[in-house]
Amino acid sequence: MDQMMKIRRVSNSYYNAGLERAQRRDLTGAVQCLKKCLNLNKYHIDARNLLGLIYYEMGEVSEALVQWVISMNFTEENNRADYYLDQIQRKPERLEVVSQNVKKYNLALMQAQSGSDDLAVLSLTRVVEANPRFVKAHLLLALLYIEHEDYTKAGKSLYKVLKIDKNNPKASWYMSIVKAKTGKAEIERRKIKNAFSHRQMQDDDVIIPPSYKENTGWQSILNIGAGLLLGAAVIFFLVMPAEMKQMNNEHTQELLQYNEQLNQKNGEIENLQSTMDQYLNDKEQAEEQLNTYLNNSDNEVSQYAILVKMLQAYRSNNLTEAVTLYPGFDPSLFTDETVLSIANGLKQDIETNGYQTLEDLAYTMWSAGRMSEALNYYQTCLTIRPDNPNVIFNMAMINRSQNQTDTAVQLFTQIVTQYADSEQAEKARQQLAELVPQNQQAAVPGQSILDQGQHQDETEAGTEGAQTQAPEAD
Amino acid sequence: MSDEALTINFEEEIKQFKPSLEVEDIGEAIVKSDLTDMSDIMMELLKNA
Repeated sequence: MDQMMKIRRVSNSYYNAGLERAQRRDLTGAVQCLKKCLNLNKYHIDARNLLGLIYYEMGEVSEALVQWVISMNFTEENNRADYYLDQIQRKPERLEVVSQNVKKYNLALMQAQSGSDDLAVLSLTRVVEANPRFVKAHLLLALLYIEHEDYTKAGKSLYKVLKIDKNNPKASWYMSIVKAKTGKAEIERRKIKNAFSHRQMQDDDVIIPPSYKENTGWQSILNIGAGLLLGAAVIFFLVMPAEMKQMNNEHTQELLQYNEQLNQKNGEIENLQSTMDQYLNDKEQAEEQLNTYLNNSDNEVSQYAILVKMLQAYRSNNLTEAVTLYPGFDPSLFTDETVLSIANGLKQDIETNGYQTLEDLAYTMWSAGRMSEALNYYQTCLTIRPDNPNVIFNMAMINRSQNQTDTAVQLFTQIVTQYADSEQAEKARQQLAELVPQNQQAAVPGQSILDQGQHQDETEAGTEGAQTQAPEAD
Repeated sequence: MSDEALTINFEEEIKQFKPSLEVEDIGEAIVKSDLTDMSDIMMELLKNA
């Protein structure tokens, strides 16, 4: 029995060693320990389950199933293998894929062993794509790549193997060959040598960083160019945007200030413009007033001028000229009392002494054919002395001579009606008889039937015809 | 590492690769499994002694 106990203890030791290696991903070493454990004690359930798990991890699903089924045969209760088998049975399609994959591997192995390396590589490539943890497939593929001197691809496959099984002896050996062929082994050897070389440093020794490389001329130029480009890029992407932003802000501020000043100036210009317009308007109004003032005789200045001229005419005893100026003379416009008294005296003198002169002047103008001036003077005479039928008659005659029949008829009628006893009344009737047809005389206001009959008799008696020439002076 | 170790005899190496156990052969593999352990050998020796 002591022997049996010792066997159990040794078996457990192997199991522990296998577990420890499995935890370090030394799967090949773990498999060896676990197999020894099971050779000593076939009932070691944990060792068998772990062995199946390691097979499963290395892509050997069938081997794993064998171990788990045997484990379940020994102990059904509280057996972890039950869980593993249950997980696999739950995914039958996965098991089918695994089965097909194993068959493809076996076929590829046969092809490789029979010399059809290319076909084998193609098959194995598909196998490892479907099951990336298939260690044996990776190893075979790496071997074929090495045979074809495709060390890079071989290295990739071996790297995957060593990630699954760190100390896989075949993968490590193949990897050392790949490194030797690609030169990586020498690099690693230098690194290890540098890392573990210990000698006393001399004063002249210079510590050169591993990343340091001696630059050649072209490399220096390239480095300088790269540095310049990098500096330019830094300036363009980091410095310039900030400078541009600052300049834009400054310009915006300046622009705002200028806009403000411009608005102020525009306001001032508008004010000045409105003031100037107002002044221009005032100036135009003043000029207009001045012109009106100067051109209009009905103002004080004009009246002063007329007054001065009239006084001058009086001084030179030229009463005719003074009378000539009388029609535009209006003393009421004078505001100064002294001037007003002088002007009124002058006006009264003209109206008293100059009336006849004015009437004579009008007659002279009539005789000279200056009808409008004659009418103007006669009108002035009427202004001075309204009750003068002789002046009215003469004005009527002038109007008749100028074919102003209506005005002439009106004036003749005025004489007939207002001054019926005057000397000019009879003459006016005669003129009316000539100017107004028989059937229209009744319409002449202020003319009686008797007057009409008398007028008719006189007409028949052959009175004077229409006078268009100035009559003899009375 | 010696130069010999850095070379592979492909023909010899390829022969060392064995076919993987197929799923259909699991039952047969279980049956044919040699489950004899040290305890069995010890018991057999004790029987024969």
